[in-house]
Amino acid sequence: MELIFWWMIPAALLLGAGTYWLARIRERGRQTTLRPVAHGNRLTELPEYQAAVRRHRRWLTVAAVAGGVLMAAAVVAAARPAERNTVSPEQRNRDIILCLDASGSMNSADAAVVEVFARLAQGFDGERIGLTVFDSSAVQVFPLTDDYDFVQEQLQAAKKAFDGAPGSAGFLDGTWNGAGSSLIGDGLASCVQGFPATDGGGPAGGGGSQERSRSVVLATDNFVSGEPIFTLPEAAALAKKKVVRVYALNPGDFDYGTDPDQPGAELRAAAEGTGGAYYPLDSPDAVAEIIRKVQSTEATAFTAAPQAVVSDRAEIPLGIALVSGLVLAGATWRLRS
Amino acid sequence: MPSWRPYRLPEPGPVSSLLTRVKSKMSIFAHRKARGMLDGEYGSVFKGRSLDFDDLRAYLPGDEVRDIDWKASARHGSPLIKRYVAVRRQTVLLVTDTGRNMAASSLGGEPKTDVAVMALGVVGYLAHRHGDVVGLVCGDETSSRSLPAKAGEAHLERLLREVNDSTALTSPRSSIGEQLSYVARNFGQRMLLFVVADELVPDAGMERLLRRLRAQHEVLWLTVRDAQLAGAQTAALTADRFDVADAGLLPGRLSASDAVIRAYTAAQEQRDAARESVLRRLGIAHVQAGSSHDVMPAVFTLLERHRRGK
Repeated sequence: MELIFWWMIPAALLLGAGTYWLARIRERGRQTTLRPVAHGNRLTELPEYQAAVRRHRRWLTVAAVAGGVLMAAAVVAAARPAERNTVSPEQRNRDIILCLDASGSMNSADAAVVEVFARLAQGFDGERIGLTVFDSSAVQVFPLTDDYDFVQEQLQAAKKAFDGAPGSAGFLDGTWNGAGSSLIGDGLASCVQGFPATDGGGPAGGGGSQERSRSVVLATDNFVSGEPIFTLPEAAALAKKKVVRVYALNPGDFDYGTDPDQPGAELRAAAEGTGGAYYPLDSPDAVAEIIRKVQSTEATAFTAAPQAVVSDRAEIPLGIALVSGLVLAGATWRLRS
Repeated sequence: MPSWRPYRLPEPGPVSSLLTRVKSKMSIFAHRKARGMLDGEYGSVFKGRSLDFDDLRAYLPGDEVRDIDWKASARHGSPLIKRYVAVRRQTVLLVTDTGRNMAASSLGGEPKTDVAVMALGVVGYLAHRHGDVVGLVCGDETSSRSLPAKAGEAHLERLLREVNDSTALTSPRSSIGEQLSYVARNFGQRMLLFVVADELVPDAGMERLLRRLRAQHEVLWLTVRDAQLAGAQTAALTADRFDVADAGLLPGRLSASDAVIRAYTAAQEQRDAARESVLRRLGIAHVQAGSSHDVMPAVFTLLERHRRGK
């Protein structure tokens, strides 16, 4: 909370002091225009009169307090109390494509990933999310969208399919059209192609006026069987060219030794080459933690300046002013009658 | 010096304003009532009469019936009054309050001093015309002072001016008891005391003092009515006022409620009754005047009551 026109408050205090002073002078002047009477105590000592005075004083106090609160609230409202939030663009202007290897060994990890994103999608505001599943061929379940209800619905369906719930097998239809299975390079390339074209080139997104960060969450064990059109390094290079960071989750990191040809090491190299990261996954429960890490990595990786968003929060003082205004009106009416 | 003379209109010229005002008021009153009636009333105030017969004059309403010369009246065909040469000049002592209370509003709205000055002026002028000397005791809570009894309009004017000028909102508080005990202490001879005060509530000490004064002097009392502080709704009553005692504000709105009006009226009646009963018990003639218009009839009634009371 801060005040935009903070100088309103000292100005109002000065004005109030000036008004009080003027009122004092006028009151002193009024004394001379009043009629003098003697034996005022013959009136003021009457119990009935004292009761009337007490009643009057009570309502005067109410009116004075309400008036003071009204003034203070009005001055505070006039000083424009505002909330300053720093909104990081990467939190809002972000495109995420979930790129899930649909081979049987990945089911539990895939289910964990869609579950986490189904949960995260509830808090999204401006981010776009897409889902592509692949095995021997890639299927775009839904493209980048900010229709979160739809996203939610699709992610739930995906989770059911990965969990092997009955009647959900059709979800993965079309992922076996290619030659072989688990063509990771092709899958990643398809996912990367899912981002809109960048006409202008360079890191700034061409199509939209806003720069949007792009990331792929790639869940795969990188066990390729068959001849992909894109090898994994090629797909990674494509991703790098399109400024897409790849975050790889590997539930089956069974590398032997430190040979860079090993699937785990290859995946790590590919992911880190795009500016992303690589996370071996010991159990599906760790997915949530990793996604959180990915989010924070994204936050630091994205270099756009944080934007300060100033929003007026006048509703509280104005509400107080309204209530005290009503009280003041009531008290004034009581004092007049 | 003849004891009776028709009223004249106030003569213009060197006569100062206060007495002029008094005389014009008396003149108007005298036109309404029979001329000379007041003089007749005033002449009857003193019991003491000399046996030196002076002359006869026509009877005027207000004259004592026992002064009628029945034989002469029978001869003349209309009632005639025997007049005597006064043995000595009577002394009239005007006693009034010049404290702060008297600068406050009267019932009629003007300052109570104006009413008091009018009353003192009327009685003083009557005394002057009767050939009596007029003195003054005035003061406030802190001090009392006296001006010696003398004859003459200029002296009377001076007395009225003294009362008028020494009464202000900045004066000390009022206490007519101070002036009365000053009279009791300092004056030995028998006099006519004409006391002008506001609404007094006599207590036991005051009653003792009055009894003491009554034993020595003839006492006439005129009460100047105070402004009403609560009563029927009028613009003047709902206006804000302030108390001269402590400059405290008295908001008119607060005294406008029925309960307050009832209580105030009841207390007011009680006070009036108490004052009336004490003064009656002491044999002091008493009237009230709310404004300077009331003064003439009030003084007339006062003299009348005093004569009846004897």
